[in-house]
Amino acid sequence: MSRSTRALGARSVAASAALLVLAAGLAGCGSSSTTTPAATPGASTSAAKSTAVTDGPVTLVNGWVRSKDGVPPTTGMAGDMSMTGVFGTLTNTTDKEITITGGSSPVAGLVEVHETVKNDAGVMVMQPKAGGFVIPAKGTFELKPGGNHIMLMKMSAMPKIGTSVELTLTTSAGTAKLMIPVRNFAGGDENYVPAGGATTSMSGMNHS
Amino acid sequence: MSTGSDRAAAGPGRRTVLLSGLGGIGALAGAVGLGACTSGATGSTGAAASGGSGGGADALRDASGHAKARAFRGERQAGIIETPQTYAVFLAVDLPAGADADSVRRLLTIWTDDAEKLMSGQGTLADLEPELAAVPAGITVTVGVGRRVPELTGAPVPGWLAPLPAYKIDKLQERWSGGDLFVQVCANSPTTVAHAVRRLLTNMGSLGKVRWQQRGFREPFEGPGIPMRNLFGQVDGTVQPDVTGAESAMLWIGSQGPAWLAGGSAVVVRRIAMDMDVWDRVDRESRENAIGRHLGSGAPLTSPADAPSTAAADLDAKTPLGFHVIDDGAHMRRARGDNKEKILRRPYSYDDAPEVDPATGRMSGLSNTGLIFVAYQADPLAQFAPMQARLAEKDLLNLWTTPIGSAVFAILPGAKDGEILGQALFG
Repeated sequence: MSRSTRALGARSVAASAALLVLAAGLAGCGSSSTTTPAATPGASTSAAKSTAVTDGPVTLVNGWVRSKDGVPPTTGMAGDMSMTGVFGTLTNTTDKEITITGGSSPVAGLVEVHETVKNDAGVMVMQPKAGGFVIPAKGTFELKPGGNHIMLMKMSAMPKIGTSVELTLTTSAGTAKLMIPVRNFAGGDENYVPAGGATTSMSGMNHS
Repeated sequence: MSTGSDRAAAGPGRRTVLLSGLGGIGALAGAVGLGACTSGATGSTGAAASGGSGGGADALRDASGHAKARAFRGERQAGIIETPQTYAVFLAVDLPAGADADSVRRLLTIWTDDAEKLMSGQGTLADLEPELAAVPAGITVTVGVGRRVPELTGAPVPGWLAPLPAYKIDKLQERWSGGDLFVQVCANSPTTVAHAVRRLLTNMGSLGKVRWQQRGFREPFEGPGIPMRNLFGQVDGTVQPDVTGAESAMLWIGSQGPAWLAGGSAVVVRRIAMDMDVWDRVDRESRENAIGRHLGSGAPLTSPADAPSTAAADLDAKTPLGFHVIDDGAHMRRARGDNKEKILRRPYSYDDAPEVDPATGRMSGLSNTGLIFVAYQADPLAQFAPMQARLAEKDLLNLWTTPIGSAVFAILPGAKDGEILGQALFG
């Protein structure tokens, strides 16, 4: 309990910055309402739009999937290519609160919703978010490196930048299918703590 | 092209924006986001594409007085006929050995999205510092390709999409020449330019490598009585084609080119080193004689010294001794061709730190100065090359100027809704 409180405090500055990003994102000329055709299952190069969109109750504004394409190996495990994160602004298009508990994707054997917290050693670690992500009615929920995110796990291959990845979210209001652009991103390495499990490093580069 | 008047009106606005930024980055960022939306929705590309005549005081400001965003979507790319912004970075990218049509398409997919967001004042995807994009400052991102791209995608390659003919004045360096892709980033804030370039290159990942990068600037206070001058003091960009009217076919590729370039253009980028130390030895009359124009006004030497720079030159006028008033080797005489050779110039000066002498580890000389000659046209072999051939043969300015870099790129058509830049390259 005290652990998560501390983590929140440490991120309060970042959180206000996220609000700013959010405002700019919402001002994006209504692009969130544009429908991106999900032509190819899994990965596609057809999506020119960056805004992942859905036919469901939740959209992901300015969403992106982290690829490790082009990221130079760091020390230690040099990048775990079997998992990566999904970021952006989850937006509840309904007038009822929605909880996101997980999802599925053709490119990942497992999809989890994660939070990032500081552990007793002062190291930022990510772990499954108990109870899922709760998005208020007509509200938003920010996913960002170093914070809450959706984790694609047990992937057979790292998605290529410039493609899009299909992700179907499991929500309390039904499923939401998204096509999310893949982008190069050097940061975002965290230690992963499975529910009740031991720490494994995503890359050996700990945030401190 | 537009005259200086709209820039003069816009100048104070630009500075006002910077001052208002001191009031709080956060507030500015939020408001600009909204402003960008307005300009996008009203299709400001149309105004921008009219060559500045639709610009006026709002060329750089939105209704809230904030630095203006530009619409990205349209028939043609921005960054060509707009009044040149003050700061620019030009860069060429090489594709890796294993590149194919798919990897090129993925890169253009990324850059299309990046350009659209940056021009609307938003950070790109995966940008953790979108505040640096929040003052769009009239930013334009313009993308071109070298011949390797259509070769990879199986599209027809126009004959001019190749290195220019070799000229005897050239001392070209690999580090400033060639490239598989081209990006021009221009804005009225150097911070905006720097951030945009960083985002474009970071997001490129392993899909390409920077081959060369050139940073340039123009006169920030350009306006009535304050022309763009190169660092020899010469008024630059004096004669331009009427690209929005009768001469638009000299700029834009239409039915005469391959279908994938319809609505596109071509650009020649030449890095021209200027030998400031030798120029220092020349008296002012000789400097004016070299170009055939008054240094102060830019008017031809056959006009009064205070005539406008656009005054018609009398190439036949002679001195009492029988010499042409405008020297036989004057730059303006030699550059002049028939009416089919017009190009749209968009030059920027560079003034970098002197190169380090590897032998001593110390800077060599006093300056590393020149001009990034950027010229848009429909067919470089028909328009730029004959002019350059004449200048290489005889031009007094060759005493002080040396081309050290050269590249030709096809400028892609604009991306319409739902398209990526270069969409037609991919069938």
